[in-house]
Amino acid sequence: MQPLPPRWLDKLATRICAPHLREELLGDLHERYALRHRRTGARKANFFFLREVSALLRPSIMRRQPSRYGSPSAFSRDMLRNYFKIGSRVLVKNSGYSLIHLTGLSIGLWACMMVATVVIDSLSYDRQWSRKDDIYRIVTVNKMGEGLFERNSSSVMGLAPELQKNYTAVESWANISSGEKYFKIRPEDSDGINTSLLTADTSISKILDIKLLGGSLKRSTQKHWSLLVTQSYAARLFPGQNPIGKIIYDIPIFSSEPTPYEITGLIDDLPYNSHLRADAIRLEVTKPEPLVATGIMSFGRNYILLKRGTDVGKFTKKVNAWYADFTKNKGREQFEFQPFKDIYLHSDFAEGQSVKASIRTIYIFAGVALLVLFIACVNFVNLSTAKAFARVKEAGVRKVLSGSRTQLVMQLLTETLLLFGISVGIAVFAYFFTLRPVENFLGHRLVLTFTSNILMAGGALLMFFFTALLTGLYPAWIISGFKPANTLRGIFTASLGQTGLRKTLVVAQFSISIIVLLATIVVWQQFDLMKNKDLGYDKNNLIGIEQIAWNGKGEAFKNELQRIPGVVRSSLSMWMPTEGAGYMQREVPDPAHAGRRLRIWYVAGDVDLPTTLGLKLVKGRMFSNRFADAFNADSLREKDFVKFEKMQMNQNSLMTASAAKMLRIKQLDVHAKDTQSVPVGVVGDFHNESLYEPLKPTLILAQKAPEYAGMLIRIEPGTEMQVGAGVRKLWKQFFPEKLLRIHNIEEKLEKQYEAESKLHQLFLFFSGLTMFLSALGIFGLVVQAAEQRAKEVGIRKVLGASVAGIVGLISKDFVKLVVIAIVVASPLAWYALQKWLESYPYRTTIHWWVFAVTGAAALAVTIGTVSFQAIRAATADPVRSLRNE
Amino acid sequence: MRRSDLGEFEEIVLLAVAALAPGAYSVSIAEELENETGQTVSTGAVHAALQRLEQKGYLSSYLGEATQERGGRRKRLFTVTAYGGKILHEARTVRNSLWNRITPAELSKMGLDFSNS
Repeated sequence: MQPLPPRWLDKLATRICAPHLREELLGDLHERYALRHRRTGARKANFFFLREVSALLRPSIMRRQPSRYGSPSAFSRDMLRNYFKIGSRVLVKNSGYSLIHLTGLSIGLWACMMVATVVIDSLSYDRQWSRKDDIYRIVTVNKMGEGLFERNSSSVMGLAPELQKNYTAVESWANISSGEKYFKIRPEDSDGINTSLLTADTSISKILDIKLLGGSLKRSTQKHWSLLVTQSYAARLFPGQNPIGKIIYDIPIFSSEPTPYEITGLIDDLPYNSHLRADAIRLEVTKPEPLVATGIMSFGRNYILLKRGTDVGKFTKKVNAWYADFTKNKGREQFEFQPFKDIYLHSDFAEGQSVKASIRTIYIFAGVALLVLFIACVNFVNLSTAKAFARVKEAGVRKVLSGSRTQLVMQLLTETLLLFGISVGIAVFAYFFTLRPVENFLGHRLVLTFTSNILMAGGALLMFFFTALLTGLYPAWIISGFKPANTLRGIFTASLGQTGLRKTLVVAQFSISIIVLLATIVVWQQFDLMKNKDLGYDKNNLIGIEQIAWNGKGEAFKNELQRIPGVVRSSLSMWMPTEGAGYMQREVPDPAHAGRRLRIWYVAGDVDLPTTLGLKLVKGRMFSNRFADAFNADSLREKDFVKFEKMQMNQNSLMTASAAKMLRIKQLDVHAKDTQSVPVGVVGDFHNESLYEPLKPTLILAQKAPEYAGMLIRIEPGTEMQVGAGVRKLWKQFFPEKLLRIHNIEEKLEKQYEAESKLHQLFLFFSGLTMFLSALGIFGLVVQAAEQRAKEVGIRKVLGASVAGIVGLISKDFVKLVVIAIVVASPLAWYALQKWLESYPYRTTIHWWVFAVTGAAALAVTIGTVSFQAIRAATADPVRSLRNE
Repeated sequence: MRRSDLGEFEEIVLLAVAALAPGAYSVSIAEELENETGQTVSTGAVHAALQRLEQKGYLSSYLGEATQERGGRRKRLFTVTAYGGKILHEARTVRNSLWNRITPAELSKMGLDFSNS
């Protein structure tokens, strides 16, 4: 009996050895095995055989001989052309599917590009300055209590120069404030050009790159203000002329005469994507103000330039330690140094900074767009794998005719790339034409776009290419992987019909749609709450004139105004809704917690202010002319300061209910020491700031005809136009040289919630998009399923199944998936939205019906989409489906 | 000629083919080398060396008869070509000339003094 080596080792050897070497080599192995067997016995021979087999593992033995009838390389030119030709024919033949693919992908890519633009643009802010890494804004952090901090973008004016004196790391500093002004070329002009203006001293050029094109950075020798104008602004003012030396005039707000400004320098345009975007720079003299520990200090927005490579963390610690020592305030007031690059996106606390964006919105924006792209790609994968059913036969035939797997994969990838290519084309086209509306929606220009920046365009194309490859690879791999013998005989592995992956993807897709839909509803509710919440005063039918100097004619203007039909009541007020919490704040000891301090806000106006606002009286009385409630602060201050101080200490005041409660005011008409006033009445709480802020305890004081004040006018409903015209006419008589800035208070209030309004619009748009894309995907799948099950449906019908039964049969699978998606998405969305709402002091509650409505909507969309196709399949003539083949 | 063309193992295999002619094939060569060196020599290694030598033109081969031990598979028999013979000869000449240049004193130092034995 011939001894034989273990079968498995023999098989392994056969596997390893190249076919053309098998005869001689395996023969050799067997012969030696027989020799060993005879010599040393079975065990040792087997062990030796194992060694022999492992010694076969060398390239010269394993390398297969190339077939003499090999197919051309999968990457040859002929093949590439062939892929392209076949690919385009396939797409044209299945035009329905191609259309679904194209729609989905174009929308996904377009949304992605649009949002990428917004994100990249936001991130590009303040990155172009040469010293961007070394410039910091000084942020004041006030400690209000244990773990309670308040940050402010302005700091004591004396601090920055003191820092430069004390620390060598500080290279330079500048005080830069930004604002708006109207300029006119001749003093007698009535209209001006709206100009965004930076005010700074000449040290601004040490910090920022300011390229002087003409004139000088020096201040004018005349008694004028000096102005540096940017090139494009100068071209607007004086087209084709040299602007240097020209004088322009502003439209005054507080003074009665227009102020002349001399243009002393022409500078290159300041970058638009900077939080310091401006048309002109007003040069100011620095008045070095000594830093004092206590007393009156002025505040401003201060920027410092540190030496390159300074460790800011250490520097901050040093400065704070020194400052705490200097003021002996036990660290109640501290500083942070905010990197210049962060100012645009991380300045939620900065009041009065008009050019800013929230990083949170950017994240939400980017996240949602990525999800849209994901849904689009999922559609593609799902539909392609579902469609694989029709392609495997083709793949089988190709394989039999010696097509390699690489070729098949390439063929399918080419189709994917073609689809993506066309979609990118459509998306870019749509992108180009929607840039303008999106800019309008955002309210600012986009500097870096895919159609203006070649680098970005290249990056985007590369990204799309890789997305296409990633998306196309999986279906291609599946389709090319089947054994031709099986596919041609019609044996399909179960994996092809209904894959778990496909189901998971559908669930993921619908979960995303549902989350976005839920977010839309909740954001809308929050927006609605903020818009319609009772503010404590009547915000409807209220008109406001912004603060000006009245030149002593305030009272007279008010009296004239009362005669305009429609005006119910008016008040000169030093506080206007949306313009801060009050004109003054004071910290008083908290009676409830020893050691803590409360912040009380002061609002002042003439005696009519509370009634004009429509505040509700809770206790005591309102201000009235019958009592000495108002005192003549402006004139008294000039005449007798001591008496003024004394008067001020004993002024009558109204308190809001929350202030009265916090200060534990038991008795009215008694002097309250902490607030330095005599409360005569308690009014209902009102929101003097936006609803982003909690309710502020507030005192209302009355002044007689304040000089610097705005005006609130209560009107009859529906008389806004009429009153507006009357006010304008009256204004022309009283203040022909001054700018009238008049607003509807309700509109102004609503503008505060622009972020929410935009977020809401955005979510509305994206929820529509994701729902549409998900429905599109499921539609494709249903079409596919109906096609695949045409015979089954035919047989069922022949055996007497009803139309409803068949529709149910086809729809059931999809409805089940969507129900799972609802179950998965609801808690996730609830958690995320709860987190989002936490930052609002006044937030809407998420009711159960929100989930019910969303779920019902998702189901309705699914059933609508599915049954459309299912009914068609169910009502088709069974003979046709059964007779073919 | 380029000496690096012929590795040490290759040279031994080539020599073995010459010595075992005309019945030189993987098994006989491997067995022979095992006998000579006392170490296990795997068939795969020998086969790979033979393949290389044939590629270089030092060997020629033909398929021989099948035996039962081989499971009815034929064996590939190798013979040294004239070119292979020349290479072997050259290799030997180089060695010989080097051997001859070793002085007797040096030989005795290495413990290889044959003159006294």
